[in-house]
Amino acid sequence: MNKFASAEELTRYQGELKRKTNGALKTISLCGGTGCKACGCNEIHTKLVEELNLREIRADIKVTGCQGFCEMAPLIVIRPDDTLYIQVKPRDIPEIVEKSIAGNEIVDRLVYHDSDGKPIPKESDVPFYKAQLRLVSKKTPYIDPMEIDDYIALGGYSALAKVLTSMSPEEVISEVKKSGLRGRGGGGFPTGRKWESCRKAEGERKFVICNADEGDPGAFMDCALLEGNPHQVLEGMLIGAYAIGSSEGFIYVRHEYPRAVQTFSNALFQAGEYGLLGKNILGTDFSFEVAINRGGGAFVCGESTALMASLEGRVGEPRAKYIHTVEHGLFNLPSNLNNVETWATVPAIIDMGVEEFTKIGNEKNKGTKMFSLVGKIKNTGLIEVPLGATLRQVVFDIGGGIAKEKAFKAIQTGGPSGGLLPEGMLDLPVDFDKLWEAGSMMGSGGMIVMDEDNCVVNISRYFLNFLKDESCGKCLPCREGIRYMMEILEKIEKGEGTMEDLETLEEIAHTVADTSICGLGKSAPNPVLSSLTYFKDEYIAHIKDKKCPGGICKALINYYILEDKCNGCGVCAKVCTMNAITGKKDQVHRIDLDLCEKCGACLESCPTEAIVRR
Amino acid sequence: MNEKTEIIAEPDVKMVTFTIDGKEVTAPDRTFLIKVAREHNIEIPTLCYNEHLEPYGVCRMCIVEVTRNGRRRIVTACNYPVTEGIVVETRNERIINNRKLLLEMMMARHSEVEVIRNLAKEYGVDTIRFKEQPSEECILCGLCVRVCNDLVGAHALCFAQRGPERYVTTPYDVESDTCIGCGACYHVCPTNHIKMEQMDGLSVVYGDVSLGPDKPIHIDFMQAVPATPWIDQKSCIHFQTDGCGICSEVCPTDAIHYDMKDEIVEVEAGNIIVTSGFKGFDPSPMYQFGYGRLPQVMTSIEFEKLSNAGGSTGGKLLTPDGRTPEAVAIVHCIGSRDKNYNEYCSRICCMQSLKFSHLIREKTGAEVYQCYIDMRCFGKGYEEFYSRVLSEDVHFIRGKVSEVTDFSPDGLPEGKVLIKVEDTLLGIVREIPVDMVILSVGIEPQVGAQDLKQKLRISVSPDSFFLERHPKLAPVATATEGVFIAGCAQGPKDIPDTVAQANAAAAAVLQAIAQGEVMLEPITAEVMEEQCTGCETCLSVCPYEAITKDEEKGIAVINDALCKGCGTCVAACPSGAIKQWGFDREQIIAEIDAVLADIAV
Repeated sequence: MNKFASAEELTRYQGELKRKTNGALKTISLCGGTGCKACGCNEIHTKLVEELNLREIRADIKVTGCQGFCEMAPLIVIRPDDTLYIQVKPRDIPEIVEKSIAGNEIVDRLVYHDSDGKPIPKESDVPFYKAQLRLVSKKTPYIDPMEIDDYIALGGYSALAKVLTSMSPEEVISEVKKSGLRGRGGGGFPTGRKWESCRKAEGERKFVICNADEGDPGAFMDCALLEGNPHQVLEGMLIGAYAIGSSEGFIYVRHEYPRAVQTFSNALFQAGEYGLLGKNILGTDFSFEVAINRGGGAFVCGESTALMASLEGRVGEPRAKYIHTVEHGLFNLPSNLNNVETWATVPAIIDMGVEEFTKIGNEKNKGTKMFSLVGKIKNTGLIEVPLGATLRQVVFDIGGGIAKEKAFKAIQTGGPSGGLLPEGMLDLPVDFDKLWEAGSMMGSGGMIVMDEDNCVVNISRYFLNFLKDESCGKCLPCREGIRYMMEILEKIEKGEGTMEDLETLEEIAHTVADTSICGLGKSAPNPVLSSLTYFKDEYIAHIKDKKCPGGICKALINYYILEDKCNGCGVCAKVCTMNAITGKKDQVHRIDLDLCEKCGACLESCPTEAIVRR
Repeated sequence: MNEKTEIIAEPDVKMVTFTIDGKEVTAPDRTFLIKVAREHNIEIPTLCYNEHLEPYGVCRMCIVEVTRNGRRRIVTACNYPVTEGIVVETRNERIINNRKLLLEMMMARHSEVEVIRNLAKEYGVDTIRFKEQPSEECILCGLCVRVCNDLVGAHALCFAQRGPERYVTTPYDVESDTCIGCGACYHVCPTNHIKMEQMDGLSVVYGDVSLGPDKPIHIDFMQAVPATPWIDQKSCIHFQTDGCGICSEVCPTDAIHYDMKDEIVEVEAGNIIVTSGFKGFDPSPMYQFGYGRLPQVMTSIEFEKLSNAGGSTGGKLLTPDGRTPEAVAIVHCIGSRDKNYNEYCSRICCMQSLKFSHLIREKTGAEVYQCYIDMRCFGKGYEEFYSRVLSEDVHFIRGKVSEVTDFSPDGLPEGKVLIKVEDTLLGIVREIPVDMVILSVGIEPQVGAQDLKQKLRISVSPDSFFLERHPKLAPVATATEGVFIAGCAQGPKDIPDTVAQANAAAAAVLQAIAQGEVMLEPITAEVMEEQCTGCETCLSVCPYEAITKDEEKGIAVINDALCKGCGTCVAACPSGAIKQWGFDREQIIAEIDAVLADIAV
């Protein structure tokens, strides 16, 4: 492959690829995201190849990045019909090949069924997808992440070509400013303004950095983008570098994402081969190189200044940002850091034009945002919605509501340092400002749904424990304050808390938020503060009534056997590891509360639902 | 920590005006807020700030509330750059409450640390609502780590772990061989968590000559002329790591240049006064006194340093374990008047010992024991001083000390040593426990005096001090014309005698300069060119180095100005090529004839 010497060559090549792929061949898009991999997509792939060879059927198999519907993994989509098969097992493959690939039938038992039991074969009709608006993750299901041609065939790199041939850096910045794009890493700072400051900053060299140190528990948007469509992220970085006037870029990927490193380094190699990276890109004067740097596993390195310190080879600790990194960042030179999703949004803006882009979202929040929807929800998965969509739409329309028909209790947005929002806030539009006002935050896009069986005290303690371990320990309030907050929550969990403790807790929370150096500390009290605002009664239940409404805090619960329901089958006595359950066969059993470890195994094992937790 | 810092404005930096606590102030744009506040005597507490280091902003004590463009927020004064029109409040309710809670958190972990206790007291933090832990000395301010890495450049300290487990350590928790023992970490530590320990060749402690760590920059001694400090390259951080450089930063006259080197300067001079001074006798070989073995034993010169207000203890007389001594022994004639070492009397030791007695009595009130052979207090006012010290309740014991020991069969109090001395006046042997023993060491010729003797062609007397030409008629001149001696180079003497002799030597030199010309010896030797074979025998015998060889002609040449007419070369020349004016064969025979003529008559 020769390097593209001009934008025209790229366009010509795009045309060639499109003609090639417009053939009559069916495409089997097999989701190779982490969820699907874990559920056996590799075996399915082997089986699929085997079966097609056996029957001598020609079809195009693409193992793509995460397609989003992780709850139903592994996923297979047959195109051009867009038939979606869920929870496919290797033994289903012969049937799928025979009916759907060789023929044009649909295997009914493998398609999605709605709550009424009606089959919905077409991917785009499935409510999970229907309620979404995919902009940034649009191309992922059609692309083999290791193949640059797949991306180019879908119009990839034409945004870069457009920018390099017809726009000045200032025009690019002005477009991004007009688009109203805000940092998807959680800060929500206007991207265009950031680029502009970095362009204006004085410095011999300037750096473009992609923050892929996604550390929020349960969040995997950046991972999915890098593993599913690395070229789109790279294209965004290229456009940003051109606008800022930088020729050196870094991507900081956390160590736990080896596949992202693999796909991205492959993308760098392929882009280099095509002349889309390196010297004189597309025959212009613009040159750009990207180096991959792997993080060592510190959550705090997702903070921009800590990330830069880590990139420099120092300990990843944040510093005060009174002097901005766009002026003095990496190696004290102007540096522009954006999150993976922000970079990936940029080519989409250039492709569709600012006018179209700004139609999405609300007044101050334009475009879409990806979320990882997890917790006690029916449809766990990776989603993308326009900013301003309500939490209710996310939880019920896309997420399908609470699993096991339990009652909704709270939704945690923004990862460990986000806030817990109650049912009353479900109509809150999901955007940077509204979430902030409600005491939570956008964060990088983690959404954890909790049901009636969760305890907010326990959840808050869990997040504080995470943050305590991940605090770098540099500044006093974060290092000590989080620990003391946690100690108070532990006391409350044990039923030893007092009402004064709640006051102290709130006091510490405000000081930690007020006086910490970086975002980690400043936002660490969010779970505590928001739960104190919306779920204070639950705290009081722990303190005054010595009860845990969620039935989680072991010190405050006990397991009992209901005499009228127990049939004396003895299953519970068998599963009890503490030998706390006694009783003769066919007679009512009893739990010895002194021996009971409150593990809940008996409750889950009881066939007659005779065991209750109070 | 609260030293005032002067802000020097760069000429092209714009000035901004803003408000601190309602007071309008002006400062260079983007100066760190804490500097401006200190300049205006506005107290902002801090535990991790040091003006020579990049601000770190971790103790959060220096939080203030800043309103900028209508937005209020809490920032740290140590690293917040001031801009036009900001409004700063350093002590409003929100700030005070936050500081209080931060101090409460600190007190839960560092309740015994003085700086924290004082601050907590100042802010009225008396109850701790958190689980108190055993008090830790290290408050994790990071000053030591930063000074070692950013300033010293030794990289011997770092943080390990994170969150509440964070602690200061050496890299990989192993003993660090990159530590240069500069003590910078020890100096900046606000809680005395870091201690200096003796390390071989790194930090010098009490017992060795310098009595405590010397700073790399020092003036040799208080009375040194000129009183210009110099940098000891061996202990200076900059010369070891290329870091630091604080001294050049703070020097207002820009007088510090690290590239300056020692140099040898050649000066053409017609006269030389040798004032090479003396060296103190080293008592290490006198094993019985325990010098170098017992930390309580020191020489008179070391005591002088200890007692000096500019010394390591600030002039306080302290024992090695830091106590004020209760009893001190002064042992006279160490290395003087001793057939085994130096037979001569060093002349100054008696008066010096009396001075020490007086100082010790005055400063500490300790019992002083003077163990002397006999007191030699000649000189103006000296006898009177002796009488005065006698009246100051100093114990005078006539007798030589036989031993200083830290062993006694009856046991000794902690930190004391025993001196054994025969009191010849009472006729008994005494054993006295003391806290400090001062060996009044004698005076010896300076190291290198032997070299100087060779170079200058001057002689020494049997005691190895330089020999004057004549003890009464030419007490400052030497056998070599133009070379003079003064002070202890000539022999042991005290300051008044040294000054008098130095004046005399200066006068002798001035006399020669005033004359403007040098009188040469009339009788010198001369080489007869045609007879000289160039064998160089004369070169080696000439005591004045007056003969050189003319390599071109291959013959010896005598410098008339250097030749003293001693005749050695004349006698030594194997070919009879050197003659001495006035002493050639005919002249000597004529002289003999003249003498014999009378007899013949």
